[in-house]
Amino acid sequence: MQKIVSAIVSDIGSVLLGKERQVKLALACLLSKGHLLIEDLPGMGKTTLAHALAQVLGLSYKRVQFTSDMLPADILGVSIFDRESGQFHFHEGPVFSQVLLADEINRSSPKTQSALLEAMEECQVSVDGETRLLPQPFFVIATQNPLQQSGTFALPESQLDRFLMRISLGYPTREAERALYLGTDPRQQLAKLKPRIDLATLRKMQSLVGQVKTSDSLLNYLERLVLHTRQSPDCAVGLSPRGALALLRAAKAWALLHNRGHVLPEDIQAVLPSVAGHRLQGEGGNGDQLVERLVRQVDIIAA
Amino acid sequence: MATTQDLLPRESLLWIFAAQFVALLPQFTQLPLWVPFAWAFAVYWRLEVFRGRRDLPGRTLKLLVIFLIIAGLAMSYRRWFALEPMVALLTVSFTLKNLELVSRRDAFVSLLLAYFVAATLFVREQTIPYALYGLLSVVVITAALAAQMGSFSARPRRALGLSLRLLAQATPLMLLLFVVMPRLGPLWSVPQDTSAGRTGVSDSMAPGDFTRLSKSDKPALRISFDGPIPPPEQRYWRGLVYSEFDGRTWRQGFGVDPRNGGRVYWRSGERPLPQVGPRYRYQVIQEASRTPWLFALARPVSDSTEVGETEDDRLVKRTPVYSRFAYEVRSWPRDTDSVQAPLSTAERRRNLQLPVEGNERTRKWVENLRRRGLGAEEISTQLLARYNREFTYTLRPPALGVDSVDEFLFGSKQGFCEHFAGSYVFAMRAAGVPARVVAGYQGGEWVRGEQYLLVREYDAHAWAEIWLDGRGWQRVDPTAAVAPERVRDGLESAAGEEFMQDSLLPLHRIDVLVKLRLQWDMINYRWYQTVVSFDSERQRDTLQRLLGDVSPLRMALLFALPTVLALLGVLAWIWYSGRRRKLPPAERLYRKFCRRMARAGVKRDAGETPQDYAERIAAQKPRLATLAQRVTDAFERAAYAGESAALSELRQLLRWRLASAVSPAHKRELVGS
Repeated sequence: MQKIVSAIVSDIGSVLLGKERQVKLALACLLSKGHLLIEDLPGMGKTTLAHALAQVLGLSYKRVQFTSDMLPADILGVSIFDRESGQFHFHEGPVFSQVLLADEINRSSPKTQSALLEAMEECQVSVDGETRLLPQPFFVIATQNPLQQSGTFALPESQLDRFLMRISLGYPTREAERALYLGTDPRQQLAKLKPRIDLATLRKMQSLVGQVKTSDSLLNYLERLVLHTRQSPDCAVGLSPRGALALLRAAKAWALLHNRGHVLPEDIQAVLPSVAGHRLQGEGGNGDQLVERLVRQVDIIAA
Repeated sequence: MATTQDLLPRESLLWIFAAQFVALLPQFTQLPLWVPFAWAFAVYWRLEVFRGRRDLPGRTLKLLVIFLIIAGLAMSYRRWFALEPMVALLTVSFTLKNLELVSRRDAFVSLLLAYFVAATLFVREQTIPYALYGLLSVVVITAALAAQMGSFSARPRRALGLSLRLLAQATPLMLLLFVVMPRLGPLWSVPQDTSAGRTGVSDSMAPGDFTRLSKSDKPALRISFDGPIPPPEQRYWRGLVYSEFDGRTWRQGFGVDPRNGGRVYWRSGERPLPQVGPRYRYQVIQEASRTPWLFALARPVSDSTEVGETEDDRLVKRTPVYSRFAYEVRSWPRDTDSVQAPLSTAERRRNLQLPVEGNERTRKWVENLRRRGLGAEEISTQLLARYNREFTYTLRPPALGVDSVDEFLFGSKQGFCEHFAGSYVFAMRAAGVPARVVAGYQGGEWVRGEQYLLVREYDAHAWAEIWLDGRGWQRVDPTAAVAPERVRDGLESAAGEEFMQDSLLPLHRIDVLVKLRLQWDMINYRWYQTVVSFDSERQRDTLQRLLGDVSPLRMALLFALPTVLALLGVLAWIWYSGRRRKLPPAERLYRKFCRRMARAGVKRDAGETPQDYAERIAAQKPRLATLAQRVTDAFERAAYAGESAALSELRQLLRWRLASAVSPAHKRELVGS
């Protein structure tokens, strides 16, 4: 298990230099069957991460570049009349894949956004009154430009909530950037990546996440954290039960990635910024600052 | 400039106005009419500011308003150093504060002043309704204070609820302070207002005075006895002696009125007391009368402060009775005084004084009696018999002309106590017998529930005293000759239909109401006895009863014991409510570890994970590194992996290793390193 994980992480790390933590978070997100939102400036390696992840895990991969004139049918697919057979044939859209990279999701209109988000939640697509199941596992990596940039439609809070995690990659460190200058083209490297695991192993790993143990002490800590977000004057809106569950699931996956059969407070703290950051709002700053304060203020040990 | 933090919460403004209104309402009836309008104006202006239509007034305008107010006060009162102008000044400045109500601090100033204004209510009135109103004011003002805290605290239910809770919590302290707080006398004497009309028996007796009194059923005296109670026909509460007659009005005259040369014995024992013990001991609670006259049975002696005894067996107070006043009296009936000093010449002359002329018919009639050789007592008997035969007792006598005594005795033959007493004394003086009119109250209603005698204004009465050589002053009540029921049963039965005829509603005819009023009077009496009259003397008595002996130590105990008990209770409550959820053992042990580490100099932050903490300990105190790591590992396994073996390991670690690791010697070393 540990071997597989470290192999995956190092494989992706060879393409995306110095971003081990983000790679692990993305992996944890995938293992806990959630979807990932990457928020960063263009050119930071968002696409590379998504592509590499799909490659290494041996999953089918499609990419949709979102634009403002996109329609839901462009993602979901359309039924086209076949003159020879005299019937309608459904042409699957890019959503029918195991890893879907929805690039710059906030550049499309809300209508198109919600079509995708519906598919994410239900893992199925309804077109022309027919319900079609999406392939399993279905993992959406959406990227988004920071909202200040022009020509973007902000994702509403309710849809942000559909993403298990939101991470940002950030600039590489100096060493990583130097290595990047010196190394070969990431695109070629990407092509060279071989799948490390098969679908069965991935499924097994996903089921293992559910078996990670959580003790009373840990659940108490989680409870205190969630309660604090709901009671603290800093936060206008606290964490929803879905948010709390997401936090627990992500923490379990994180513990599993670190080869542990039980969740430690560290695990919760490690995933907290990416799980809660986009779910919290308040007067006391943006989500990340709130999370930072939250971690500092809530005692791990019960008083 | 005030920041938004200091600014007044907008929604609390209405609360401030409500508090001001409640505090000012009782004052409005006493103040000049323009003061409420000034308040309304200030409130209106402040509301306009609140709605953003106007600015707060500038300095010039404020100065102008102050000038106007001062001028207004000067015009309304024309003097400064009296109670009313001072209260008015306070009220007006309180009112004007609205014009500069900007910051939270201003609101606090205004509301704290409101407490003070509300308290000035008790300068005038200390009865139960006013006490209840005072309580209401305090609730509203406290709620207004609570409303200043912001973030929805101004919601009526929340503010009022908080206020009620605060006051309920303060009640035990209030009761304690009521009993223990030293009762200071007034530091300065408040100049009392003297303009308001006097009530009760007045300095002089002109025809019609007692008619006015007979229309009022306000309580005048409440008398509780210690021992025997005098029978109804002995209940003559003497207050004033009139010895000077000008043909129409009876006055006290020079040498009788203590303010006009009358001798008063302020210290007890200054006048020799009779050899035997007193027959009646009682306490009189007198309603405010704004006069210095006190009322007691004949030959009274009082040890109460401020009370003196006059030559003619009355009690007077040094200053007028402006609020309820209680005094203890012992009384000796005149017949117990065996040795009678003869009447001095001056006294005799004073009590024989008559106008030079007028009322000739009466003088002649008495002269006739004297020629027939009748003595003082026979003349008196003749006169009383005449009253009995030919006169009627009525509260509505016809008006009398210049020779009022003549007209009464030989004309109208209708009248009540003042006519009978006045004509009787006139006649006796004309006959050469020293006589004087005595005014006060007669009778009273016995209140069974609380065991006291309630004397009302309509019990006001006038009677006569004549000097008989060898027997001294003797009381003669000419009214009793006409209407014995007046003396025996009170005015109501004597006057019959005429009683309280002018009152708006004949409430005294409704039995239930009469009983209710009596009940209400009883409650008032109890209120006065227990609360209002709780002065330093009573306080000492109460403390003595509670403690046995008033020593500083015991006082401190009385103070400290309830306080300590209450605090302990609060502490216990906090302790138990905090202890309700018991910590899991692993976390409790880890806390212990953290406490020890903190003592060793490395304190854990709230959000710090055990692993990070262990690393920090290792960095700061390398000697403790292994131990911290082992404890942390054991704790993590026990708390998060649920290994019971780890728990006992953790217990072991904390019991042995830590004790030796952070022994005092080690600790010193550690801190030093």
